[in-house]
Order: sequence, then structure tokens, then C-alpha cells
Amino acid sequence: MRFFRSIGGIFGYSPFEDLKKHASLCGRAVGILVRQFDALEKGNYEEVERLREEIDDLEHHADKIKAEIRGNLTRSLILPVDRHDLLEFLTVQDSIINNCEHVGHMVTFRRVKAPKEIWSDFKVLLAKIMETAVEYEELINHLDRLVETSFSKKEVKAALEHVPKVEELEHECDLVQIGLHTKLLNVDLDLRDAMIMIQWVVHLGYIANSAARAADRFRLMILAR
Amino acid sequence: MEFFFITALIVSFYVAWNIGANDAANSMATSYGSGALTIRQIIIIAAILEFCGAFFFGARVTKTIAKGIVPVELIDPHLVFVGALAALFSAGIWITVATFYKLPVSTTHSIVGAMLGFGLAAVSAKHIALEQIKWEVLTKIVLSWIISPISGAILAFVVFKIIKFTLFERYETQEVERVFKYLQVATACYMAFSHGSNDVANAVGPIALITGYKELPSWILFFGGIGIATGVATWGYRVIETIGKNITELTFTRGFSAEFSAATIVLLASYLGMPISTTHTLVGSVIGVGLAGGIASVNLKMVQRILFSWVLTVPAAAALTISIYTVMVIFV
Repeated sequence: MRFFRSIGGIFGYSPFEDLKKHASLCGRAVGILVRQFDALEKGNYEEVERLREEIDDLEHHADKIKAEIRGNLTRSLILPVDRHDLLEFLTVQDSIINNCEHVGHMVTFRRVKAPKEIWSDFKVLLAKIMETAVEYEELINHLDRLVETSFSKKEVKAALEHVPKVEELEHECDLVQIGLHTKLLNVDLDLRDAMIMIQWVVHLGYIANSAARAADRFRLMILAR
Repeated sequence: MEFFFITALIVSFYVAWNIGANDAANSMATSYGSGALTIRQIIIIAAILEFCGAFFFGARVTKTIAKGIVPVELIDPHLVFVGALAALFSAGIWITVATFYKLPVSTTHSIVGAMLGFGLAAVSAKHIALEQIKWEVLTKIVLSWIISPISGAILAFVVFKIIKFTLFERYETQEVERVFKYLQVATACYMAFSHGSNDVANAVGPIALITGYKELPSWILFFGGIGIATGVATWGYRVIETIGKNITELTFTRGFSAEFSAATIVLLASYLGMPISTTHTLVGSVIGVGLAGGIASVNLKMVQRILFSWVLTVPAAAALTISIYTVMVIFV
């Protein structure tokens, strides 16, 4: 029994560390997707399955962090950003890893046969998505400095410089997607192979889209202060 | 009679000890949480400056507690003696119970409630009329309880915003923080001094009354100062360590803003002779820094608990005093 009165309770739950952790899981999930497509091309389906499980675990972990943040962000907290903006941002950030999970599952639906040029186009697309994710993570990593400087103008400017970069990379992903779609519809492929691969392209695009939307939400959250 | 006087001294010392162990510790914990000072340095600073504040600047508030609430000059000195004892016992008991249940009570509110209880007991025994209790002083005191945390919040808000716009925008954050590490040593001293000056009265106010002073004998403040310093040194360090662990996110600039503002408000109150709660003022100041966007997360639930214990403390301490007084009148 400790005999004392304390005002320590005045300091509440801070969501920023968890937000960063959540963002880093998204980046890691994209990294696993890259390896999953490598395994697909080599026809190493055991590895594909194993990596799917890895992404599932990451997504599950991310869900837990999301629940932790949502559960702790009560109305009684004074935060340096708007609570609603933060929750909204978290939802969009969470959709990044959700989309990774979808693709992780879709690639296990069917063992496709495709020419080398298709696989190398997929690699290009995945590399672009990875680049987008890395840029996005850099943006989120500014959170520490933003909180430290109490969102000084200088720091806000430095952080938000990443947002147009994420958006630009997302646009580049779109271009690669367009090329890949055209190819998939014109190269001689098994119809069902083509169908599922089109689905992959669409959903890979969603990952980059989510990152760009999350970056935009992040900017709104920072600027709405 | 002598037996009771010695008992009163012991209880007074206990209350002073409790103030040092808990409230002084709470107000110093920010310096430990931010890492500006080691626990040893804090104990030494707190013990010396709490004592100095109490001894050199504690007289005005002590006078308010002793003579400001109950018109003691109208009551038989013997009964004043009993009343002061009852108030002191009741405050001591209430603080102990509340601390046990971890309620963030204020010793200030306890002793003011207890003195009011003594006044009401005197009214019910028809020694004075209800109107003769100094309600206007009491109103001022209660108002100061509301005003002090709010002023603390406003001042801290402004101080932190100034730091942000003049320093964070121009210099590297780490450099700014490094400078404030040293400044925070100064505010820790400031905090301890003003805390001692305001809170010593909670322990020695009734003693001052018992000695029936015209001019406050200086040994009383000396005695209270020693009590607070002892509390810091023998128990406060545990409290500081425990709280300090929770508030690591309070950097030097934030700690400085909160402490400087709270200490300023408390010292001003001491100058005006208003007994206020240092802890509540500090909580207000932390909220001010939070509203200025300086803290990752401030939990307003704490405010609810403070309001709850506040509303509870005054009637509880008053009722306790009335009961103790009623029993003691028979025996003393």
C-alpha cells in the first residue's frame, strides 16, 4: 500500500507512438508482398502460402493497435490534434494494410501461368508501391518532431513536403497499372489467369491509393489545428 | 491543558509532514519527470526552499487561516483552544483518510473546511451568531480556489505559446530544451518556495490560534517549515519517483511553463493571504500547456476527481470538526 496523493493521472494516453507503430506495419506488409510475388514467379507456392500467413499476422497486429488507439482516445483527453481527424486518419491508414492482406490472399486463389514480361511488370508495380510506402512512412515518422516542437511552422512544413511526393508516387503507380492492364488484356493468356491477375493489379493499386489518401488525411489533421 | 497543546503540536507536525510528503512532492515531480534534476537534488532543493517559503513568507496565509474565518476575538479563549485543536485533528484525520483512498484532496481545503466547522460549532453553541462568521473572507477564499487553477492555465498557456513562437520557430528544439533544463532548476526552487509560503498555514494556522497571538511568533512558521522539509526528505522522494515515472513526456520547456505559472499564481496568493491549493493550480497549469498544444495527451478525468474531492472535502472536514469539538468541549 503506497500512501500518497498524486496528480500523475493528469497525463493521459498518447496515441502518437502507436500511430507510428501501426504505420510501420503497413510498410512491412508491402515488403512481404514483394517477396510473395517473387515466390509466385518461381512457382514456390509453399513460400507464397507462408508469406500470406505472415501478412495475416501483421494485419492482425495492426488491428490490435488500432483497437488500442480507438479504445483509449476518450473525449476527456486534450490532444494537440483534433480527435476526430486523428481517428479518421487512422481508419484510412488501416486500409493500407487491409488492402495488402486482400492481395496476399488473392494470389493464393489460383496458380497462374504468365510470360516473363508480365512478372517483370508486376515487379515494377510492386517496387513503385514500396517506394510509396517508404515515402509515406517517412511522413509519419515526423510525428515525434511535430509533437516535440508543438507543431511549429518549420516542422509542419518539413513534414508536409512528403505528402505531394506520396501523391506523385501514387500517380506513377497508376501509370504502371494502366500499362499492365493493357498487357493483361492483350497478351495471350488463359482467361481465368487474366481475370485474377487483373484483380491483383486493381487491388495493388488500392494499396497505393490508401497510402495517398492517408497522407492527405494526415495533412488535414496537422493543418486543422 | 499542556497535554493537549503537545498533542496539537504533534498533529500539526504530522499535517506539515504530510504536506511535505505529498503536496511538495507533487509540485516537484515535474522537475524529476523531465529529468532536470536528480532525486537527491530535488530533495535538497525542496527541503531548503519549502522551509524558506514557509518561514519568510508564510505569515499572511497563516493569519487568514487562524483569524480570517472565525471571529475568534468574540469567543472565549478556552473554547478557541478547543476549536483550533478540533480543526487541526479533523484536518489531519481527513487528509489521512483521503490519502489512503488516493483522493487528490487539498490540505488547504481540508483546513478551511475544518475552521468553518469550528465556526459552525460555535454558532450552534450560541457563542457567536451565524452572520458573525466571516462569510466575505470565506467567499473570497472559495473564489480564489476557482480562480487559481484557471489563472494557472491561462498563464501557462501564454508562457508556452511565447516559448513556441519565439524559440521553437527559430532554433533547434534540442537546443531550446537544453537551455530550459537549467531554467527548470530555477523554477523548481521557485515552486518549492511558493508552495511552502502558502501551505505551511494549513499545518500551523490552528497552532497560531492556540498561542493566542497578536503578532505571529516566528517559531511557529519555523516549526511548520521543519515539518514540511521533514516530509519531503522522509517520504516525498517515493512520491516524486512514482509520479515522475508517469510524466516523462513533460520536457524541460513544458515543465518550465507549468511550474513557473503555478508558482507565480501561488506566490501571488500567498502575498494576498489567500490559502489556495498548489496542486490544483499546478494541474491547471499543466492543462494550460496541454491546451497550447504542448503535451501529447492531457487527461481531464483528473479534473473530475479533483472537483469531486473538493466538493467532498469542505463538508467532510467541517462535519468532522463539529463532532470532535462537541466531544472535546465535554472533556477539556
